[in-house]
Amino acid sequence: MSDVVEKTLTALPGLLSLDSLPGSNKLSSSSKLGNLIRGITELTSKHEEEKLIQRELTSIKEQVSSPNTSMRQMKELMVRAIYCEMLGYEASFSYIHAIKLAQQGTALEKRVGYLAVSLFLNESHELLLLLVNTVLKDLQSTNLIEVCMALTVVSQMFPKDMIPAILPLVEEKLNHPKEIIRRKAVLALYKFYLIAPNQVQHIHNKFRKALCDKDPGVMTASLHIYLQLIEENPEGYKDLTTSFVTILKQVVGGKLPMDFNYHSVPAPWLQIQLLRILCLLGKNDQSTSEIMYEVLDESLRRAEINHNITYAILFECVKCIYTIHPKSELLEKAAKCIGNFVLSPKINLKYLGLKALTYVVQQDPKLALQHQMTIIECLDHPDLIIKRETLELLFRITNAQNVTVIVDKMLEFLRINKDDYTTIDLVGKVAELAEKYPLIHVFLSFGGPLLPENGKKIVKYTSHITTLLYMLK
Amino acid sequence: MIKFVLMVNRQGQTRLSRYFQPVELSRRAALEADVVRCCLSRKKDQCSFVEYKDFKLVYRQYAALYIVVGVTDSENELSVYELVHNFVEVLDKYFSRVIMFNLDRVHIILDEMIQNGHVVETNKSRVLAPLTALDKMGD
Repeated sequence: MSDVVEKTLTALPGLLSLDSLPGSNKLSSSSKLGNLIRGITELTSKHEEEKLIQRELTSIKEQVSSPNTSMRQMKELMVRAIYCEMLGYEASFSYIHAIKLAQQGTALEKRVGYLAVSLFLNESHELLLLLVNTVLKDLQSTNLIEVCMALTVVSQMFPKDMIPAILPLVEEKLNHPKEIIRRKAVLALYKFYLIAPNQVQHIHNKFRKALCDKDPGVMTASLHIYLQLIEENPEGYKDLTTSFVTILKQVVGGKLPMDFNYHSVPAPWLQIQLLRILCLLGKNDQSTSEIMYEVLDESLRRAEINHNITYAILFECVKCIYTIHPKSELLEKAAKCIGNFVLSPKINLKYLGLKALTYVVQQDPKLALQHQMTIIECLDHPDLIIKRETLELLFRITNAQNVTVIVDKMLEFLRINKDDYTTIDLVGKVAELAEKYPLIHVFLSFGGPLLPENGKKIVKYTSHITTLLYMLK
Repeated sequence: MIKFVLMVNRQGQTRLSRYFQPVELSRRAALEADVVRCCLSRKKDQCSFVEYKDFKLVYRQYAALYIVVGVTDSENELSVYELVHNFVEVLDKYFSRVIMFNLDRVHIILDEMIQNGHVVETNKSRVLAPLTALDKMGD
């Protein structure tokens, strides 16, 4: 285990739970929040917790209403209120003070005010309107940190109707010399697009500028908007394919600064984002797909490092290769990749392999056949999640020969499964199969012993199947 | 997309919760207890991804602390699994220099990494830049 991870493992509980670390007492004794958390941790009943929190809330309420409370103290009170709400106890009296803190506080005080607002309120809360003036003021501040704070909160929640008031200020920030401001401005526009798309229609060319920004962070931020736009209308953005391919090439080729690396892998989440975009653009489009083949091949090759994040990228790569217009060499390499996942002793990879197989099996049924033995082993795997994923895969490769076996395995799973959602889903699948391949004995199985909790839902589906079978006769 | 991020201890007590889709206060405790129960019952050699209701949970254990992320079906589970680790490494990078417990600071860090349920920054230096600047301002 690396040094960093070792240190993190030992330090983390102390940071957040104050459990049993020597020295953690020293750190928290001066913090009222620390005392509160420690108090809660030591309690054993819900009733006691309620009493303690109510006392705390009463104390906070008194102090926030007092004119003598400084912004410094207010910051501390807000954090305690955040904690109480986190445990499920409403502290709505503190909302207005959070806004006040954002307005009147400086530096960390102001930041905590904004934080509290983003945690307490929601888009439709009437108090959110009061925040607008503060945000407008901070956006025009000469202190860049305040501008950042304002942009951050705007990206999290903003009243839709006030967008016109703030839009010009945010747009202006797109040209700011500092990358962090430009990046946050793009993210704010993304938020506006999510809540009121028609308000930002006119600035599409500004998104383009962000995509070509010399700073990778600003470019990455623009991808969020593009992913959304492309999901809605892939045709409209095919002309950007070459840009996305070029960017991915540069990332995979290690052209980004070192601090974008995660365990020696260059900007993995960015790679995944780009692969998703390419996937959407190449689907059902041969000429667009052809532009991507080279970079996809490169991504597959570069992913040599044995780290989870590399496998995550490979998974996305494989998905892309199977979605876009087929190219045999790539498909071969992708199939090999999936094979490695499925055969891996590491359970998370096995899961990913099964998931990938499920995704590709309709295009490539031979692949599932190739890994038959492993799939059968997975059926009997002690981990229900693996079992479940295997059944999902099998559902897609049912034919007249194997349907009886597969349905039997599903029924077997239903008997041990305790989760309602999975039960409903699986029963639905069995019903579908029973309709497709008339199976009298399925009906009999349903009449047989089943878990009592699943009873009601099964009965509902049983009558459905009965009706189907009657109609099929 | 990411629906929520939770940090809970082995006793099931919530240390940090962040929701990227609105969930009523009154429903949160029950959801968190249920999610935690689900993850705590898993064994070490089992998959870190669990199907929960109509979405998925990606969880990772760090000594006495569990970090659980709720994600929609379309999410790449392994990338979220590593995102959690990246987050932990960022916390380590920050808190190893500034020895102070602060729920608000962890939230501020999370703010820089995930917004609207999407990953917005994973470069550790950039994640920490605004917070370190604030710390300097306060000095």
